[in-house]
Amino acid sequence: MNQASAAIGDPLSESPAVAREELEAVFADIQSHPLYDHELNGCLNCGICTATCPSAHYYDYSPREIVQLLWTENLEGIHDAMQEKIWACAQCYTCAARCPFGNSPGGLVMIMREAAIKHGMESAKEVLRPFSRVMLKVISTGNQLAPNMINAEHFPDWGPHISKVDAPLTVLRKAIPMPTLHTLETAWEVNLKTSLELYVIWEESGVLDQLETMDENLFDVITDIMEEKRDDYDDWLEDQEDEDGDDDD
Amino acid sequence: MSKPVLIVGGGPAGLSAAHALASVGQSVVMVEKEDRLGGAPILSGYAKLIPSGEWARDAIGSMVARVEQNALVEARLNCQVNEFSGAPGKFQAQLSDGSKIEAGATILTTGFTHFDSINKPEWGFGTYDDVVTTTQVEQMISTGGGVRCPSDGRKPERVAILLCVGSRDRQIGREWCSKVCCTVSANLAMEIREELPDCHVYIYYMDIRTYGLYEDLYYWKSQEEFRVKYIKARIAEVTSDGQRLIVKGEDTLVKRPITIPFDMVVHAIGMDPNVDNMKLGAIFDVDLESHGHIGRGSNYSALATTSRAGVFVAGAATGPETIDDSISQGQAAAMAALATLNQNIGAA
Ligand SMILES: Cc1cc2nc3c(=O)[nH]c(=O)nc-3n(C[C@H](O)[C@H](O)[C@H](O)COP(=O)(O)OP(=O)(O)OC[C@H]3O[C@@H](n4cnc5c(N)ncnc54)[C@H](O)[C@@H]3O)c2cc1C
Ligand code: SF4
Ligand code: SF4
Ligand code: SF4
Repeated sequence: MNQASAAIGDPLSESPAVAREELEAVFADIQSHPLYDHELNGCLNCGICTATCPSAHYYDYSPREIVQLLWTENLEGIHDAMQEKIWACAQCYTCAARCPFGNSPGGLVMIMREAAIKHGMESAKEVLRPFSRVMLKVISTGNQLAPNMINAEHFPDWGPHISKVDAPLTVLRKAIPMPTLHTLETAWEVNLKTSLELYVIWEESGVLDQLETMDENLFDVITDIMEEKRDDYDDWLEDQEDEDGDDDD
Repeated sequence: MSKPVLIVGGGPAGLSAAHALASVGQSVVMVEKEDRLGGAPILSGYAKLIPSGEWARDAIGSMVARVEQNALVEARLNCQVNEFSGAPGKFQAQLSDGSKIEAGATILTTGFTHFDSINKPEWGFGTYDDVVTTTQVEQMISTGGGVRCPSDGRKPERVAILLCVGSRDRQIGREWCSKVCCTVSANLAMEIREELPDCHVYIYYMDIRTYGLYEDLYYWKSQEEFRVKYIKARIAEVTSDGQRLIVKGEDTLVKRPITIPFDMVVHAIGMDPNVDNMKLGAIFDVDLESHGHIGRGSNYSALATTSRAGVFVAGAATGPETIDDSISQGQAAAMAALATLNQNIGAA
């Protein structure tokens, strides 16, 4: 009872009430996303998105509810959905392909996830924690996997039945050569200059800031790697200049 | 003697205009592309009409007979207008039967085209025999055959009617509401329950638009007296488990996805612009409005006008309309055409 008088929260939610300013700040970030108006045109409340949504069949999650919360600017409801529900979306975009109003509920969830990360929400940290190895590789090398790394051994979450479809992949790959096959050996060996360009992209696009909010340890590890590579590149440039100097003069 | 009025399209709107003109002594040439007069209610074999409850063949049939028996109306069947030129009081039309006619004014009552459900493949029409349209159910009833599953002729125990098929859907470029299908569906649901009292009938809707006096006469009555069940959901897809049709949606009021078996699924198909409208627009040099119907010149000061003087429009050619409204508009267009003739008496 006391709690209710302290702040007005979502009466349906069990999570503690959040300050109005924070709710507004979160929504402002969602609404100002360049794609927001493109993904949301209003809503007929027809339920097609939820009916086709694979996640809605397994979780307490409904894309129509997400759209409704956003369209009606239900700030408490939006904030509450960001604590768990938005992470149930599989980002398959079936909803967007079917919505008779031309909305993309999956796209809206993506925007909400970005906002959850920006605001350092615990739900985002929890979801991303198991992916720190993946993020380390993607951010430091720009590449997560080579084709031969995609096997049941590396992905216990595929479950026990994966053995049924487990074929001799290495043999098959040689029989049906794929354009990516040459990356088997080199997946994580990235050209120095390319790495540096990649780092500029991470910095400019805000990915590094997001990482810092989500996982400070990982951020430290990755910035160390980046610094190291930048030093390597500077050294290499100096070497080049020395050689050039020798030639030109 | 004044030149005749050319009426293109022999549905309720055209029949009403022709009768009105003939009843004040004005001659009419009616050009109809099908082999019969009567328009959609006759050509598609509708059963009992809303809101009168009269059989279409009686109600519209008598409008046809009245016009056919009138010596002032000359009906050209299996015929279309190929070329059209001139000005109010002195139009010339080249017809597809090779003849040429003169007309003082023209009324376009070319109506609509039924939405073709094949354009919404996820709802199973064309894939499963027992997915049908409202026009097919109308025909099952009007021919006396009764409502039966086309696959094996059995009496359905569970029927789902899906509203807004071909309407209110940006995915297929049809953003309008077709106006009659909510009431038509409530009416059909009651007819199904009357014929098959053990059959459960569900209607899946986004909004129920039984506007005006249709609210209690159709929406309420179908629930209170006929136990038709209304679920607020738009169906996402219709599939089959090999035995029955499986309908997937979200019951949006209780917020859960639903998967329900049915024997028959009925598409409440909408009213598209007439497929001929691009051609008609070019031949008669009239503008189409943004959805592709024939555009109205004015909404208030002059009824039934188009963008071209002396060429008028009435009925479902202007957008989704009921039969009653099409008939009123036909009469308004007849009045406007008469005024044009009077203003141009003696035009060469
Ligand atoms: C399933 C269904 C059930 C319905 N039931 C009802 C009901 O119970 N009550 C009600 O009020 N309304 C009902 N309607 C609506 C009703 O069909 C329309 O209001 C009515 O048909 C409109 O009449 P119209 O004369 O304007 O057009 P139409 O009936 O479409 O007639 C147009 C005529 O023009 C002809 N034509 C078309 N193009 C050309 C051309 N290029 N050259 C020459 N001729 C041409 C056509 O062949 C047709 O004969 C229903 C609609 C649907 C889809
Ligand atoms: S994108 Fe997300 S919300 Fe949309 S259907 Fe897929 S899982 Fe559901
Ligand atoms: S499919 Fe589109 S219109 Fe229908 S409920 Fe979902 S978002 Fe709204
Ligand atoms: S009348 Fe009813 S079924 Fe028809 S389009 Fe409008 S809302 Fe949908």
